[in-house]
Amino acid sequence: MFKTLVVILMSSILINNYVLSRFLGICPFLGVSKKLDQAVGMGIAVILVMLIATAVTWPIQYFLLVPFGIDYMQTIVFILVIAALVQLIETFMKKAIPSLHKGLGVYLPLITTNCAVLGVTINNITDGYNFLESMVSSLGCGLGFLLAMVLFSGLRSRIDDSNIPESFRGFATTLIAASFISLAFFGFAGVVDNLFA
Amino acid sequence: MTIEKDQIKSVGVLFAICAVIAVLMALVNSFTAPIIKENEAAAANKALLEVLPGGGTFEEVDLSAYTLPATVTAAYRESNGGYVIQLTTTGFSSGLVIMCGVDASGTVTGALSLASSETLGEEKTYGGTLVGLTGATIDGADTVSGATKTTGAFKAAVKDALNAAIILGGGSVDIRSAEEILMDSLNEALPEAEGAFTSLFLTVASDTVDALYQADNGAGYVAVCGETYVALDGNGKAAAGADAALAADAEAAAAAMAIPSEALDLNKYEGISTSITEAYVTVDGVYDITIKAAGYGINGDEYTASGEYIYVRLAITAEGEILRCVTVSQGETDGIGSACAEPAFYTQFNGRTVADYEGIDAISGATYTTSGYLAAVGKALAAVDIMKGVE
Amino acid sequence: MVNNQNSNMSILLRGLLAENPVFILVLGTCPTLATTTGVVGAFGMGLSATAVLICSNFVISLLRKVIPDTVRIPCYIVLIAGFVTIVQMFIHAFLPELYETLGVYLALITVNCIILGRAEMFANKNTPGKAVLDGIGMGLGFTLALLLMATIREVLGNGSFAGIAIPFMQDHTIGMFVKAPGGMLVFGVLIALVHKITHGKAPVKKDFSCAGCPSAAYCKTGSACASAGQNPEKAEV
Repeated sequence: MFKTLVVILMSSILINNYVLSRFLGICPFLGVSKKLDQAVGMGIAVILVMLIATAVTWPIQYFLLVPFGIDYMQTIVFILVIAALVQLIETFMKKAIPSLHKGLGVYLPLITTNCAVLGVTINNITDGYNFLESMVSSLGCGLGFLLAMVLFSGLRSRIDDSNIPESFRGFATTLIAASFISLAFFGFAGVVDNLFA
Repeated sequence: MTIEKDQIKSVGVLFAICAVIAVLMALVNSFTAPIIKENEAAAANKALLEVLPGGGTFEEVDLSAYTLPATVTAAYRESNGGYVIQLTTTGFSSGLVIMCGVDASGTVTGALSLASSETLGEEKTYGGTLVGLTGATIDGADTVSGATKTTGAFKAAVKDALNAAIILGGGSVDIRSAEEILMDSLNEALPEAEGAFTSLFLTVASDTVDALYQADNGAGYVAVCGETYVALDGNGKAAAGADAALAADAEAAAAAMAIPSEALDLNKYEGISTSITEAYVTVDGVYDITIKAAGYGINGDEYTASGEYIYVRLAITAEGEILRCVTVSQGETDGIGSACAEPAFYTQFNGRTVADYEGIDAISGATYTTSGYLAAVGKALAAVDIMKGVE
Repeated sequence: MVNNQNSNMSILLRGLLAENPVFILVLGTCPTLATTTGVVGAFGMGLSATAVLICSNFVISLLRKVIPDTVRIPCYIVLIAGFVTIVQMFIHAFLPELYETLGVYLALITVNCIILGRAEMFANKNTPGKAVLDGIGMGLGFTLALLLMATIREVLGNGSFAGIAIPFMQDHTIGMFVKAPGGMLVFGVLIALVHKITHGKAPVKKDFSCAGCPSAAYCKTGSACASAGQNPEKAEV
């Protein structure tokens, strides 16, 4: 049991990293990862939303959609739940923990349209994970997102300081640099399988 | 007032849109759902046809009504009397799922791995080599060297599928493993032992007795003579009604085994291998030697290298004939060198002498293990030569 | 409703080149990278997104006077998710193989920035006719971009085109191109190329970094883009 959870966690952080190998959440990855503190803020906000979204959507899927035979409503229900959740979290945070809201609040609205969040909730269902596994997988995906953001913010500050050919400035270089990081993450394939071998 | 009105309107519009979309989706779903279901059934049927080409229609079998090998997870009965059996087994890692087709005559028509996490990927093609085999020929199929665990498990699963097809077809088949068959036979021969037996290392030359088991509670012995199990009571006497010739041999073997062997002081002999850990001699002059062999982990100078030795126990006559050879313990690579612990390997030495002991079939893919083992057997044979000279 | 032929034509065509959603506006990067390992998948993805885009643009434009401003984003999301699910059900029923290939990315059209972006930037300000033209143009631009990416990746990475093996390439494949890093590399190089070609004519950076950003809808509310340090104006939500 514990072993399965660790394998799910590690593989969703390293091998199936949402940003670097599944291309989910690329937009904020490219847009927000310019400074380290922003990258960390966005990453933590994503982890938070992913965990809460999974905690809500998993029961909805199995206790509401499936029993009533309306699992084709999955996408529409999930996205609405996520949008509402993000709004709720933001409002709550603003009132209850203003200091945290100052740090994370600004990233929250960006997350509604972050495909990584919708992606993780749907993937947890399609992969047939139970509730605990879903939560661990969401945590892993969130941590993987944070890891990619932090790694990349370091790289971005260097790119900004370099003299790059005109046409490669901006997104082009960013994407190519992301490609190399993604290539480096290939090195983790096989590591997780043999974790307990 | 206007704010409230606006809010009501907003919520109303949102609700109306949700409702319209929901109705639209329900409509489309009621139209597409049957088609999707049909497609999925066709796709499942196609997968079944892949392992049972030319099959008709399939119907899933309720497994709870049958006693089947543990690996069988699903079964489909084909309209012409064939079966498609789904099996889950453990190769190099767990979760090797195999789909196996068996036609009405009990011949393998196809075997595919549906899901696996094996390292070498041999399971993807291995199934094809088993097509055309039957229950009688499946044991003779070759496994792939270097991937013996994967392909061995695959082969065993296909054998289970063949047996399952017979059982599902109303027949009966012995699905017990070799160990289970032995244990059941021993219990049947000597129920007084209450299922607890110890295998004795047979140091007696006998043409008929292959193995001797002693009841842990002293109730007697069971001698294995080919297919026959001869029970002896606590005094070593065969029960009345047993085959007279076999009973005599069994009694003789048990009587000989009851006489304690003399332990030999290894320091007494000049030039015998220091790999020998224990040596005994029976009253009949048969030497019982335990020797450590350098396997893959040791490889090379057996005195300095560290690692796990293969412990081999041999019974050798003064004339230099190997009566019995057994691997006591080993730590070779699982699935490769570990084959030295299989009876199929070590029983090859039985009846051989210094002249031909190197002629056994090597373990494929485990050169170090085989050569280390052979060297140890050679040293034991040489030691017998020295020891009998001193006496 | 009085539009001359020329402006309708330009609405249709600008999505293909001048305002190509993928290469110029850099929208919808996730599906662009994820579904372009094969030409067939890319084509399916492009057409599915186009269908959703046309439908959502049309309906949103039609309802632009009915939908109150305060709840417009939830309304758009519901409409888009609904159309996505409908398209998804049709594909599942009639093209099961494509459904398997696209997997979760089909459902993720819902959060494809292009669709919400066009709803917010174009459809809710224009007539249904123009909105449909815009949907067709943008959708085809998206499809073409995906096809271009997929062709490069499949030919180099898999030695085939739409599943049909290419004699020489078949024996000399570069596996990286059908994997994640290859996607980003090809996309990066293509963007640089488009930059080079349209040099001077392409919209300046700030045009697509904010208006075209994934949360274009939220951008107006200020917080999102301000967070990225791109838009100094900060309005209250």
